[in-house]
Amino acid sequence: MKKLLIAAGLIIALFTSSSLLAQEGPLKVGMSGQYYPFTFVEQDQLKGFDVDVMKAIGEEMGLEVQFETANFSGLMGMLESGRIDTVANQITITEERKKAYIFSEPYVYDGAQVVTKKGNTEIRGVEDLKGKTVAVNLGSNFEDLLKELPYADQINIKTYESNLERDTALGRVDAFVMDRVSASQVIKEKPLPLELAGPTFSQITNAYPFRDTEAGRALRDQVNQALAALRDDGTLAAISERWFGTDITRP
Amino acid sequence: MDVLNIEYMIGLIPVLLGYLPLTLQLAGTGMVLALILACLFAVVRVLRIPVLNQLAIVFISFFRGTPLLVQLFLFYYGLPQLVSALTVIDGITATIMGLTMHFSAYMAESIRAAIVGVDRSQTEAALSIGMTNGQMMRRIVLPQATRVALPTLMNYFIDMIKATSLAFTLGVTELMGATQKEAAGSFLYFEAFIVAAVIYWIVVELLSKLQHYLEIRLNKAYSR
Repeated sequence: MKKLLIAAGLIIALFTSSSLLAQEGPLKVGMSGQYYPFTFVEQDQLKGFDVDVMKAIGEEMGLEVQFETANFSGLMGMLESGRIDTVANQITITEERKKAYIFSEPYVYDGAQVVTKKGNTEIRGVEDLKGKTVAVNLGSNFEDLLKELPYADQINIKTYESNLERDTALGRVDAFVMDRVSASQVIKEKPLPLELAGPTFSQITNAYPFRDTEAGRALRDQVNQALAALRDDGTLAAISERWFGTDITRP
Repeated sequence: MDVLNIEYMIGLIPVLLGYLPLTLQLAGTGMVLALILACLFAVVRVLRIPVLNQLAIVFISFFRGTPLLVQLFLFYYGLPQLVSALTVIDGITATIMGLTMHFSAYMAESIRAAIVGVDRSQTEAALSIGMTNGQMMRRIVLPQATRVALPTLMNYFIDMIKATSLAFTLGVTELMGATQKEAAGSFLYFEAFIVAAVIYWIVVELLSKLQHYLEIRLNKAYSR
């Protein structure tokens, strides 16, 4: 029995210590695969702005990048439990998240945008959301942004795992709130009757979260270096131009 | 309403079929393990083996009384928080663990019911000719109980196949996860999900055929 306990202790020590060592294997990056045009799948091919930027970062760092896809609600748990090293899914820096994770430098600057079904004349901006049902992605920062509004108690917020664009087009909710960049992209390229309602109402900056451990901090610093290099040589801007026709990587 | 994009649907079939083996692997492994576990629980409960019986009751109560998704989150995200070495449990293992425990709890009860349903005279006869409890279970009771339990066990297997669709929340891209990602890329939700639905449906239909065949075989002794 004693021997067994010692053996079990050794095995546990082995596993825990190996996770403390510096990055040796591939860089494991979590994403939902369900956030067009940042991360999505076409004919079994994982594509998107976040995929391209992360690949460029991996190349710069000389590390292989291994993408792990999971429902958005599972991603932070995977980061927390050490199954992935970071999340590339337009994670917005918030006070709440800063308590739990450390962030890289921002790589996307964007704003929150109200989107309605085409032809909706009632909602012309965020101030018209009083008394309306508004969809946001589960666990996303947009829910908090809505709750910060002075008339938040009059907004019926509905959280979605995915497919909120479709439910808005179907009229099941009055509007959804998302970042301006991907909302414009969805309207431009996908067959859904949607339109932007008014200007953006909040600045958001998106970055990569890491665990607040020694290894996490080291990795964050390396990623920051790579990001700076990609910014300087124009790679970041070029990837953005390719996906959006504009540079969203600068404020 | 737009016209269905048939071309897209046809293109999607081979892509989604590529994820079917993983779905079947999850459900198949889960079913074999759940069956073993459920049989043990059922026997423990029927024979009222002290201590084990109480443990089985608590186990069944917990895993039948909480949602499968909650259990999956507990295994995958919860356990590593307590013991960091448990990060070695990958998504596939956690899914199989969850399916096994969740469904074994249900199956234990239907197996127990089938065992209890075997006529008392059968057990009395077995014991009267000097069989031990174990022999009686193996040779007399379980073969008869199998026949009674088969339809409900098949039901659970079918349910388990569909329950694998929760695995994408643990980062396991099985049939449903692949479909969700494809739909997010194309925004053709109806097309993508109808293809997935039909694939699930065909698999379950094939299983129903298997069940029918097994039932005929197990009923042979009873037909005259």
